[in-house]
Amino acid sequence: MNDEIIVIAELSDGRVLSVTYEVIAFARAIAAGGSGRVRIVAPGREVQAAARGLADETGMDVLALEDDALELYNTEVWMTALAPWLAVQKPRYICIPHTSRGCDFAPGLAVRLGAACVTAAEGFQQQNGVVSFVRSIFNGKIRMHITPQTDMAVLTVLPGVFAAQEASRKGSCSSPGHVQFLRIPDHPQRIRAMGMSPVATQDLDLMLADVIVSAGRGIGAEENLEWIRRLAGLFSKSAVGCSRAVCDLGWLDHKHQVGLTGRTVAPKLYIACGISGAAQHIAGMRGSRFILAINTDPRAAIFQFADAGIGEDLVTFIPLVLEKASKLNFS
Amino acid sequence: MVSEGRLARMRILVCVKQVLDSDGPIRIDAAGGGIDAMPGALFRMNRFDEFALEEALRIREKFPGTRIDALSAGPERAAGTVRKALEMGADEGIHLVLGDECYRTPFEIASLIGAYAGDKHYDLILAGVMAEDDMQAQVGPMLAEILGYPWTTAVMAVRWPLFPGTIHVERELEGGRREAFDVTLPALLTVQSGINRPRYPALSHVLRARSQALITIGAGQEGAVVPFSLPWPRERIVKLEEPPPMKTGMILSGSPTEKAERLLQILKERALL
Repeated sequence: MNDEIIVIAELSDGRVLSVTYEVIAFARAIAAGGSGRVRIVAPGREVQAAARGLADETGMDVLALEDDALELYNTEVWMTALAPWLAVQKPRYICIPHTSRGCDFAPGLAVRLGAACVTAAEGFQQQNGVVSFVRSIFNGKIRMHITPQTDMAVLTVLPGVFAAQEASRKGSCSSPGHVQFLRIPDHPQRIRAMGMSPVATQDLDLMLADVIVSAGRGIGAEENLEWIRRLAGLFSKSAVGCSRAVCDLGWLDHKHQVGLTGRTVAPKLYIACGISGAAQHIAGMRGSRFILAINTDPRAAIFQFADAGIGEDLVTFIPLVLEKASKLNFS
Repeated sequence: MVSEGRLARMRILVCVKQVLDSDGPIRIDAAGGGIDAMPGALFRMNRFDEFALEEALRIREKFPGTRIDALSAGPERAAGTVRKALEMGADEGIHLVLGDECYRTPFEIASLIGAYAGDKHYDLILAGVMAEDDMQAQVGPMLAEILGYPWTTAVMAVRWPLFPGTIHVERELEGGRREAFDVTLPALLTVQSGINRPRYPALSHVLRARSQALITIGAGQEGAVVPFSLPWPRERIVKLEEPPPMKTGMILSGSPTEKAERLLQILKERALL
């Protein structure tokens, strides 16, 4: 069986995105447990410079997969560029960043290759020669260990879990990797990429705040946002954030959203109120210096990431905090 | 408009999954590989699929000849979610009945739905971006690949029609950015939450749903017709486990007042207040 691991790099405007280095670190960690080597594929329109940079930084061999059609992301073009080549290579694992792009093509790629598919992997375990991947289910309340049953598996790796710096070429003993170029043939398209649009609302409140008080579905009702706002009011440079669910309910605008599809924030203090702690939200706030979670559900996943946790109903608890705080200030 | 003739005859399939509410009481079963529904646990439609169904209903409002089939592959209880789809306004409900409560991988489910949809010539297939329970986000794109349809995931806007047989969609990227595509029909889209506001069932639909029979097909069990038998699963669950309750932090104890005081003390100590 082929033990090779192939990492599909994610690039934007010819620049390698940092998630790519995280996935390389993940691949390297799996390879360390076996004899497999790691190779990188960099798809894009003009990726020579990026491919050489990757080979130099990591010491790994890089395939630059080039075509004009690869300028903008397009599911169909990515599939036609990657699948035939991968089908010939038959790697053990194909590792892809769990980004909106990776999530888009990974499952279809697995079907086309007859491979297993594991998405949003947060880690792996090796036991009695069986490698299983760890991922969160039920909003992070439960962890699933799942193992591929096929010779080839497509994996998407959750951002923010594997430290990127481990990917760098260590010491001077290893030499830069070899770079190979491949142009993909043209083909008819049923999907046409029409370009990117910027964020609808430019609002820097979240990015500049020292303290973010965030609301999740668990706050129960829209009017309870008032307590979130008043708690935020305790701090000088503060902002109100929220989980995706709160935006979907229409309680707050999307500019307040923290998480994988919202803002990534790293304030001094992050107060999560009624937030369950799904991996998608955690990815956007795990860099916060101090995380405080208030939730009535003692089994909510958010408590795993919190520096301090409080199992109380925010509707009764926040007024208490405000009352105590006002006394503190006058004493 | 030239395109309306074609669009008016459009057939849409919406994939809906029944999930166990993760806010309710859930527990890993004794064997360690499945989830037990505890007393008070709630089975309901996957919220992401509600957005997909709502999007289909909006398309039908725009192009009144459109027919919407809602399909769920799941055990007996999943009939409730198919019925909910009828209550929301789907024209037809299809239940691919799995004989047991075993976990099915996304590829198995996509294969089953593909076996049903293969000869139905749907113009558009919609599904939620992921299921709330196993959070795999795989069935949609896998189904598209099985059927040979182009697909786009995490769709936040759908616009009709640019020219016959094409739709314009925007998918959501990191940080709220979007990328736009023109997609030729037939196609599959997975819908991101927040694309619309799913409606509550109208009474007329609720009454109709009560009397309407579901299309029920035995799948993945003894005696299932060949195309509806399950393929060999490509992944196996080794185990399920509860994460450690807390990695580094502390859970404050005492009365609510004591907790509030302790919290303020912590914030003061760290110069956060």
